[in-house]
Amino acid sequence: MNVPVIQVASISKRFGAAAVLNGLDWQVTPGQVIGLLGRNGAGKSTLLECLLGLREVDAGAVTIYGEDVNALSDATRARIGYVPQKSDLFEWLTPRQMLDYVRALYPRWNDAKVDGLLARWGFSQAMQARPISKLSGGEQQRLSIIRALGPDPELLILDEPVSALDPVGRREFLRELIDGVVERGTTVVFSTHILSDLERVALDVAFLKDGRITLQGQIDELLEGARRVAGPGVMKTPSLEDLFIEVTQ
Amino acid sequence: MTTHSAQLFSISTGSSEPIYRQLVEQVRRLVAAGQMSPGDGMPSVRDVAQALTLNPMTVSKAYSLLEMEGLLTRKRGMGMSVAERPTTGHSAAERAELLRPTLERAALEARQLELDPDTVLSLFTQILKEQA
Repeated sequence: MNVPVIQVASISKRFGAAAVLNGLDWQVTPGQVIGLLGRNGAGKSTLLECLLGLREVDAGAVTIYGEDVNALSDATRARIGYVPQKSDLFEWLTPRQMLDYVRALYPRWNDAKVDGLLARWGFSQAMQARPISKLSGGEQQRLSIIRALGPDPELLILDEPVSALDPVGRREFLRELIDGVVERGTTVVFSTHILSDLERVALDVAFLKDGRITLQGQIDELLEGARRVAGPGVMKTPSLEDLFIEVTQ
Repeated sequence: MTTHSAQLFSISTGSSEPIYRQLVEQVRRLVAAGQMSPGDGMPSVRDVAQALTLNPMTVSKAYSLLEMEGLLTRKRGMGMSVAERPTTGHSAAERAELLRPTLERAALEARQLELDPDTVLSLFTQILKEQA
């Protein structure tokens, strides 16, 4: 259990003149539910894509379950679920066709979970017969989440999974994350700007700033540790939002 | 003896108070106020996590802390229940430490109101005597 699920050793990534990741070290241990926070443009999506080997790094190395991310075995690949920020879902297929196609790529696929989620998340028969390109942004995002949960992944990486969802959709997603994912001991890494959702689900947070993880810890401890006397007569009791502003500026 | 439902709890996000602390304080208050009686059953960790949409670890952290404080006891195969004689076996200093978060908040407000310590302390003394 001591072997990290994800081990990031000093990775760098630049786009032209801009260094987005700059010698970043990071480690995610089994069963961690960790929120990745950072300002817009801090490089959260780039980091998540590098973790998954979807983007080549300029320097450094990423291993997932002990394997180099650029040479993952099929068995390890099958243990990973990913929800990209912009869903890329074979838009000409219908939801049902897409799921049947993806299903065939995995050694294990939880039909009951997928059918249950489709029903609970409002995918009527009529909707399942429509091309994905005709679905709304929120519907596409929900479908992308269902696709990622289908193989019962042991590691789930989500890039702003609720950005297109309304409050009801967000709550339904959180429920599923708690009942169906966290309870199974799944390791979860997700980026989000919705701190209230983060507090409910994540136990840990990591802040990305200037191309590195500048602060990581348990939310509870960060909140309690940040409680301090800031000067004569002034006591600061920051919320997670205050902490975000302080840490990322 | 009742078994309390998970609806008993409510939490707020965006607070400077970690969620597990909010749960701990709610149980303390409900027990202190007699709304929870010795022997009453607590809702399961899972039920609370589902009802409030929380990571179950956050709920178990709160329950464990309350168990350590002696406010809750774990009964084999029965889950958690309110202890028969809460807070025995803890020194006065340990129990006083439980009061610290509340007093820190009161101190903050006192400073914001620009009250001097003597005024605040005499008010607090008065309140303590009223309750007794």
